[in-house]
Amino acid sequence: MRYAVSHLTTVKYAAPVQLAQFAVRLRPAAWPGQTVSDYALSVDPAPAAISDGEGGYHVNEAKFMLREPIAQLRIESRFQVERQPLPHAIGGATGPGLTDLRERAMARPDLSPLSPASYIFASPIAQPEHDIALWASGFLGETMPVMEAGRALMEAIYRQFQYDGDATVADTPPIEAFHQRRGVCQDFTHIMIIAARAHGIPAAYVSGYLRTLPPPGQDRLIGADAMHAWVNLWCGEELGWIGFDPTNDRLADTDHIFIGMGRDYSDVAPLDGTFRGSAQQSMFFSVDVAPLD
Amino acid sequence: MPSDPQVEAMTGPRTWLDDYPAGATSGDLFGDAPAPVAGKWKAMACALAAIAEGDPATLQDLTARHIADLGLTFRITGDDDERTWPLTPMPLIIGAGEWGQIERGLIQRAALLERLAEDIYGPQRLVAEGHLPAAVIAGSPYFARKMLGRGPKSGHFIHVYAADLARGPQGQWRVLQDRVRLATGIGYALENRLAMSRTTDALLSDSHVRRLADFYGTIREGIATDCRRELPRIALLTPGRFNQTYAEQAHMARYLGLPLVEGRDLSVIDNRLFIGTIAGPKRVDALWRWVNTNALDPLSFDAKSQLGVANLFDAWAAGGLEIVNWPGVEVLESAAFSAFMPRLCRVLMGEAPILPTIATWWCGQAAEADTVQRRLDTLALLPAFGEPVDGLPDRQPVAGASLDGARRSALLEAIRRRPMDYCAQEIVHLSTTPAVIEGDVVARPFTIRVFVARTPDGQWAVMPGGFARLASSDELPTSLMGEGDLSADVWVVDDGPTDFQSPGRLTHEPPVTRGGGILASQAADNLFWFGRYNERAEITVRIVRSILGSSIEVDGSRVHDGEVRRRLVDLLVQWGAINPTTAGEPLAVVGGRALAENLLPGGVAALLRMRHQVGLGLRERFARDFWRMVSLPMPVIDMQRPQNLVSTAKWLIEHFSALAGLASENMVRGSAWRFLEIGRRIERAVATCRIANHLSQPQVSPESLGMLLDLCDSQIIYRSRYLTGPMRNPVYDLVLLDPDNPRSLAFQVAEIAAHLGVLPAIRDDHLPERPLRAARTIMGRLETAIAQELDAASLQQIEAQLLDLSDAISLRYFLQFDRKGEDARPSLLE
Repeated sequence: MRYAVSHLTTVKYAAPVQLAQFAVRLRPAAWPGQTVSDYALSVDPAPAAISDGEGGYHVNEAKFMLREPIAQLRIESRFQVERQPLPHAIGGATGPGLTDLRERAMARPDLSPLSPASYIFASPIAQPEHDIALWASGFLGETMPVMEAGRALMEAIYRQFQYDGDATVADTPPIEAFHQRRGVCQDFTHIMIIAARAHGIPAAYVSGYLRTLPPPGQDRLIGADAMHAWVNLWCGEELGWIGFDPTNDRLADTDHIFIGMGRDYSDVAPLDGTFRGSAQQSMFFSVDVAPLD
Repeated sequence: MPSDPQVEAMTGPRTWLDDYPAGATSGDLFGDAPAPVAGKWKAMACALAAIAEGDPATLQDLTARHIADLGLTFRITGDDDERTWPLTPMPLIIGAGEWGQIERGLIQRAALLERLAEDIYGPQRLVAEGHLPAAVIAGSPYFARKMLGRGPKSGHFIHVYAADLARGPQGQWRVLQDRVRLATGIGYALENRLAMSRTTDALLSDSHVRRLADFYGTIREGIATDCRRELPRIALLTPGRFNQTYAEQAHMARYLGLPLVEGRDLSVIDNRLFIGTIAGPKRVDALWRWVNTNALDPLSFDAKSQLGVANLFDAWAAGGLEIVNWPGVEVLESAAFSAFMPRLCRVLMGEAPILPTIATWWCGQAAEADTVQRRLDTLALLPAFGEPVDGLPDRQPVAGASLDGARRSALLEAIRRRPMDYCAQEIVHLSTTPAVIEGDVVARPFTIRVFVARTPDGQWAVMPGGFARLASSDELPTSLMGEGDLSADVWVVDDGPTDFQSPGRLTHEPPVTRGGGILASQAADNLFWFGRYNERAEITVRIVRSILGSSIEVDGSRVHDGEVRRRLVDLLVQWGAINPTTAGEPLAVVGGRALAENLLPGGVAALLRMRHQVGLGLRERFARDFWRMVSLPMPVIDMQRPQNLVSTAKWLIEHFSALAGLASENMVRGSAWRFLEIGRRIERAVATCRIANHLSQPQVSPESLGMLLDLCDSQIIYRSRYLTGPMRNPVYDLVLLDPDNPRSLAFQVAEIAAHLGVLPAIRDDHLPERPLRAARTIMGRLETAIAQELDAASLQQIEAQLLDLSDAISLRYFLQFDRKGEDARPSLLE
């Protein structure tokens, strides 16, 4: 599938702010089965320079600074992407059992941004939670193959949790969403990451997009009108990282467009900013992922 | 314990240590000391006994008094208020021989840590070659992936290193923990030494104790050498005045002469770091950070942190900033890392560790996890990376033997699920040392924190001494000081005089300078508000005193007019010093409430509290005497006894006079002093307008004019100038317009204009800036006015102009940001 993606962010300040500085994480990082072309980031008012770099994990990061006072900012990210279907073999693969998987992850002499060791420990938002670990124990076993474990967690969240955009806000701790059994893709992703890590499975937060309108005859996917999030689990050396989308109870496939991967939301947040001043800010997003084929 | 000091004097050199119950089984620092060092112990105990006239309790009191003089305080996690520093007067004495081994071990270890940091953030050879599991690095919450491949230009990851050492029963020293993140204790060690030298006078040099001062100079020079500029500006980055060890940070900054800055004082422009000062941005070459890596830059690390500086990362990555210690080195501190130190020492240094590490097993490896399970009853379990984990929610080590059935199996189950989160350590028994506690000399287990700094030539220097912590139990410390712990000075002694004890081997003479250094915008802001709160408190106390009727008598007759006093009560309500409901109470009650009021922003107790809060952020700028006065507790207010209220008010007014005297006689006439003055004078000017106006309603009377003279401390001048009782125009001229009366409105405004006129300019066009123009406008008005013209409307206008002036000063000189919570400045003037 080929898509044209556009993502517009508008930030408004109640009063002009000075020395506004931003980090933007919207340019897709390299990912198997996905080819990106014609990436363009435009910012209005235009900064003197935009510096492109990499975040700490598997994510691209652009930074810029606006020296003149601003009352409003418009950031537009556009690109085209070709998404290959998942290799057929993955559908039937099982991967190693959980104890085996954990030992393999721990044994790899690898600290790269895609190394399993980097995603097996607690992270700023995905802190260990006894209740989530206990809940996950109900679906997992020591010898259970990792693909089966991933599917079990994904399905449990999909069945037991209510998608509810009003139940949580961006910085609601995952444990709160867990206890009220409600939330959005970001909450479900964090809960699944905490559950997987509690049982020694390397688990990462993926930020990305879903196609906006479904193919004819299919339901619209949940979370298609904004940025989406799902979980990458490390499923052993052969399978590598596999995407599990607990919001839609399916593996990340041709409808999922990969932007970046980190330990949790904080590593891949699409926009971080600071400024001098004391103005209230409000933010508006619009996302469109349109098939080109 | 001495029996009777007189008997002691007769029987000769008996000391407190003669009957000291050195634990025969556990080892004791004094008990184990070789003869020459034991001699020093005894001489020290003799000298202390002489100072204390034989009574250990006296010695404790004496030390406590020196501690109070030094203003030494600390907080334990969860504390709202600062605590007094618990120093026990008897030092630990370590002989040069025993110390030499420690010193060599620490230098080896510092070099090892430096090489580890180089490898982890560089080639990662240790991981690739299998000497170190990737997870031991990735598991640390302090591992900063963004720092990979970004080493310091100087090549020095570590400048300051601290270690906790334990002495075992056989006298063997071991490293409990390496600290490269924060050298907490480094300032307290210095303060302990200062307090000791005050208490014991010449004892330190008589005992041939090695001096500490040179070590602190080394830290500074070592950092300066790595900066790429002559006379570099090095600042100490603090998390702020509510941090647990803020007092220590402020002491270090003051002792080393470094500006103490918070993240919001700083900004990064074109990859260089600047501090916002009243004279515009000034370049900073190096930061000694007391802030975690994760909090240093909200755009590169934790986006929620308010402690850091946006894009600070770019400044150090581009080589424009030295940062001490280099971001990310904290990864070396974890318990999991300790497990690998012996092996890594052999791999990187080609030799065995001189100082062994406390034996540690990391459960992330199958064989080690097995060992831990088998030997659980002889080991202590702890989180591998310092963060709470399942079964160990408070991060504290737990002795395996102490775990009961249910907790034991839950913890074992948790370890089975995530073995990599857990470490086990041998249980260490500590040597004891003699300590003076509650009038007795008793044996207490101890650990010491020692410090290592990089010298200007890139080598390592070990502080000859350290910070001893005397635990209330045999448990290992997890923080600098815990509940019930005591601290003690550590003396490293030579047999006779050596170079180590002589002062000042300074490398070169610094160029001569004057003035008070740069003044950060935030410090200026704090000084300004310190002045305002202080002045407002003083005026409020003066009003209370007048209400209570103990004012200076006018021509032998008291102010009897109840109406005038009621006007003053009304003013107290307006200023938020008392609740409107209190206004109808008897005058004594009103006065007492205004003094004791701590919730409303205008109460005297509340104003003094806010003054103290603001002052905390200025502590390193104030003389110790000044700060001690500011820290004095508010006197207790006894509502039942008006006569006591009068004396309390008097005491407070004397307190304000003493502070004003200290500021005027001891503060350098630099920008800092000017902002303190400007704050005071603005507040006094506004209050004078307000009081004059308020007392003229509904009409002026001799009593109200008398009161005005009283509150403006101008009775005496008035009487020397005029033969009549108070009359409107002469009084108004004296308290509002007379430029020679130091209490008059015109005098305040002229002073403000004079201060503003000599503050540094940002622009070079030599035009007066807005605050100065605003001040001169008011001054012109007062210079040209005559008393007859000053009515209620014009006084109100002048008051509004003064408030605009205050805003103009704030906009021009201070940082503009949202103040929240404790930082909010309640508006004094509505």
